[in-house]
Amino acid sequence: MAQIDTSPPAVVQPPARSGAGRFLLVFAPLAALLLIGVPLFLGGMPYWLNVVTNACLLSFGSLGVWLTFSIGRVNIAQGAFALIGGYTVGLLTTALGLSFWVALPLAGLFAAVIGFVIGWPLLRLRGIYFAMVTLSLTEAVRLVFLNIGNLGGAGSVTNIPTPPGIASPMDFYLFAAVLLLVGYAGIWRLQESRIGGVFRSMRQNEELAASIGIDVALYRAMAFTICCFMGGIAGGAFASLQQNVYPQTYTVSDSINFMLYCFLGGLEFVLGPIVGTFALVIAFELLRAIQEYQALLYGILMIVVMLFLPNGLLSLRRLLGGRE
Amino acid sequence: MEQILVNGAILAANYALIALGITLIFSIMNVLNFAHGQMFMFGGLIVYWTVAQLGLPYAVGLAMAAVAVGLIGMAFEVFFFRRVMRDSTREENTMLLAVGTALLLENAALSLFGEKQRGIPPIVTGVYRIGDAFLPANRALVFGISLVLIVAILLFVTYSKTGRAMRALAQDRTATLLMGVDTARISTLGFGLGAALAGIAGGLLITVSGVNAGIGTAISTKAFIMIMIGGAGVVSGALLGAVALGFIEAFGYAYLPGSLTYLMIFVALILFLLIRPQGIMGKPWG
Amino acid sequence: MTTTRRDILKGAGALTLASAIGAPMRVRAEGKVLKIGQLGVMSGPEASWGLVNKYSAMATAEMYNARGGVEIDGELYRIEIVSVDDRNDPKLTVSGAERLTGEEGIRYFIGPNMDTTATSVRPIAEKNQAMYIPYAFDRSLYTAPARNAILGMIASYQVAPVMYKILRDERGVKKVAFLARNDSDGLLQRDEAVKVAEGLGLEILAQDTYEPSVTDFFPVVANIVGQNPDLIVMSAVAPAHCPQIMRSAREMGYVGLFSSEAAQDIKIIREVAGEYGDGLVSIGGASTPEIRSAYMEDFIEKYNAVAGEWNDEAGTKAYALEMILMTLRRTGAAGIGDIALFQKAVDGFSERNPFLKEDAALTYVGMADYGQKRQIGVPMVITETKGGDFTTLSIGSVAS
Repeated sequence: MAQIDTSPPAVVQPPARSGAGRFLLVFAPLAALLLIGVPLFLGGMPYWLNVVTNACLLSFGSLGVWLTFSIGRVNIAQGAFALIGGYTVGLLTTALGLSFWVALPLAGLFAAVIGFVIGWPLLRLRGIYFAMVTLSLTEAVRLVFLNIGNLGGAGSVTNIPTPPGIASPMDFYLFAAVLLLVGYAGIWRLQESRIGGVFRSMRQNEELAASIGIDVALYRAMAFTICCFMGGIAGGAFASLQQNVYPQTYTVSDSINFMLYCFLGGLEFVLGPIVGTFALVIAFELLRAIQEYQALLYGILMIVVMLFLPNGLLSLRRLLGGRE
Repeated sequence: MEQILVNGAILAANYALIALGITLIFSIMNVLNFAHGQMFMFGGLIVYWTVAQLGLPYAVGLAMAAVAVGLIGMAFEVFFFRRVMRDSTREENTMLLAVGTALLLENAALSLFGEKQRGIPPIVTGVYRIGDAFLPANRALVFGISLVLIVAILLFVTYSKTGRAMRALAQDRTATLLMGVDTARISTLGFGLGAALAGIAGGLLITVSGVNAGIGTAISTKAFIMIMIGGAGVVSGALLGAVALGFIEAFGYAYLPGSLTYLMIFVALILFLLIRPQGIMGKPWG
Repeated sequence: MTTTRRDILKGAGALTLASAIGAPMRVRAEGKVLKIGQLGVMSGPEASWGLVNKYSAMATAEMYNARGGVEIDGELYRIEIVSVDDRNDPKLTVSGAERLTGEEGIRYFIGPNMDTTATSVRPIAEKNQAMYIPYAFDRSLYTAPARNAILGMIASYQVAPVMYKILRDERGVKKVAFLARNDSDGLLQRDEAVKVAEGLGLEILAQDTYEPSVTDFFPVVANIVGQNPDLIVMSAVAPAHCPQIMRSAREMGYVGLFSSEAAQDIKIIREVAGEYGDGLVSIGGASTPEIRSAYMEDFIEKYNAVAGEWNDEAGTKAYALEMILMTLRRTGAAGIGDIALFQKAVDGFSERNPFLKEDAALTYVGMADYGQKRQIGVPMVITETKGGDFTTLSIGSVAS
């Protein structure tokens, strides 16, 4: 006999505190951890600083994917836009000699424009169709860059200079951490605003939202474009961190990872992608010691979390606080 | 030209088994089996192990692959998917679980079988000529077995009681439940059958081109392309997608430089989906 | 049933257990330890390339550790191999290199295996003062101003002239077709090889490519086979794909020869290509039965114990760790932390080659191709597959 689900509805009503208060409740500890805690504890370990820098940049990209989740789309294309951003920064800094600080916003902008143009028609699709189309997009972009190389263009870009003004791993880390905090604040603000409300209503029921006069096409494109912008920035910063970019730098696996990080943290919370990214990246590094079974344990770990916490790590808070 | 047509046909038959399997799972459970490619790979490696290591006949190996991978599929459904589908608030969570199972299978295979490319000698040797084209006897046999299996599955799904229950479940879960069908058992069987098909496909293909622990993602991507072309959740769509992909690949490799073939496939696919999002035969989403 | 508190605790317990297992395991050994890194691709179709590096290093380490370790400046050092899988992903190569050279403080590591991953690691190696032994052929790695990389095997463009000349003169090859893997390694090797072939007066019929993710090569070879070449050159072909290409082409009626400038694996060829596996001319392991010494036989035994089965490529990859150790014995203990001493020792290095039966010198080479000695002088062995085994066609070396 089927059970009728009597548990409380999925959408959590925000407690009746002021918006700024709720924001600071999460933002302040996060900022303290990233800007004070990490430098304090990891200051002398460039390797771990590098790991956390990676995590910050990946989180930034995952925040973008979270935004597309908030309009009810599964986006497996972030790798493509990270690649576009990476190549943009790579080519602008090497071939044109532009400064990183100019190239990075341009990379984000370029990725955003492409995202808008491609996304506008694609966003009509939903569910697994959208997921698979975005998966194809990741592969298509990778193949484009691979073939540009064959036709005589730059197949891969190496010797990308480090950004001017950034001299040490700590400097790059602080840049990445600040970038992440700005991204988090921005997405949080967006999510709290009227636009965020529109997004939520669209996720619940897109036809209904359209029927009350919301221009769903425009709002969908807005979310997707911002997502691609963030992907481009993340990829561009990464290119500068690694000092190279190749067609295989971002594959389908990377796009899936961006998606996984959001899921793992919890799709109901803006903090989710950040928690998910950090958890998985750090877990992966810790497992390195057992190289042989690293990937196997990684897979097992993911399944274990999914089984016991199918709504992500952050749902732990709700579960522990609430029902039996 | 004949060679291209022959290539297209045999590719289509190989791919059809893969497409059928993933379609079965999707139509019954609404889950996109990200681990499908890994199940294919597992099937191939099990055949390798039974034939090359244990020395058993090929038919035994193939049967073992089908059973083993089918059991894995059923275990996934019972222990993983059923639980998550019940407890999670968003349906995308099952997609995450599917990705997790893919990672799990891939790395289990790596630990159990190692990373080397594995292959077994052809079941039958010799090459047939069809006009200008070469058709290795082994490939012809694989083609034949695939066709027989496809027909068998179609008959099963159309006429047998369990098969009809699966189709009913795919059409309308609640109605099927109200009819008194044990949906849990059917779901498990469906997942197991879909998985077994992937395993058999892998077991057949290892005689033709060999298998290694890393091909999972590539096969899954092909499976996705096929159901995108043909339409997810519909058997005729799966077959259509397989035929389309097989012939596009055959023609593409003959006339275009290597990677352009797939670039064109993806671009064409994206454009095609904009016009007709549900594929050629698929049910529209939502 | 909803998730209860008990379930949460079970989950937390599982997580804790997993992390406890995952916490870095350090086996505290007595005496001095020399840590050598190994960074390569150990999963996917190219997995055997990285794994052979790992097993070869472990075998050599075993040989020394069984005698108490390697003796440098009168002290015995136990060798510890720290192995990292980069999965052919430049991002992982970079973080792996950071871990090896930064966190672990390693100054010498073996690998990476591909152009993309090797070039991505270069800034890290230079920044953290480490020497590495890649198995990638990109000239920029070994030519000044790059000074930290030492090529561990024979480059494709070094063996191609020798190989093609033999095939042209002794086997009557006139028409060549190229089938290259579509990534930077494949295209680089293909372009270099085309130049060599043209220089020798061979006619080039076709230049096709294939994606590294291809699973069925039958349609891939259709075009080339139709042109009827005498020789199909497979540029940067992975050990997993080579026998598939051979089998598909032969099944389609091809009767000519194949060649590969990347090392192959005879077991896979036997298993996958079976009777179609003959006629492959390739760069062989540098230690064929005809020329190997008792020391090499000992290595083979240790390798089999570690890896479970022999791999022909290990005949070449055996040299990497051995060369590092022999050079460090020259520099003395100071060289373990200071690569400048190592680099100086490279120039004048000459020892009896321990892997060869006959008395031959083992040096660093590379002046002709790179303008500096940045290559291990492994023997250049060209083999041909016959009856399921490698037979030696020619043995030579890079001149200087």
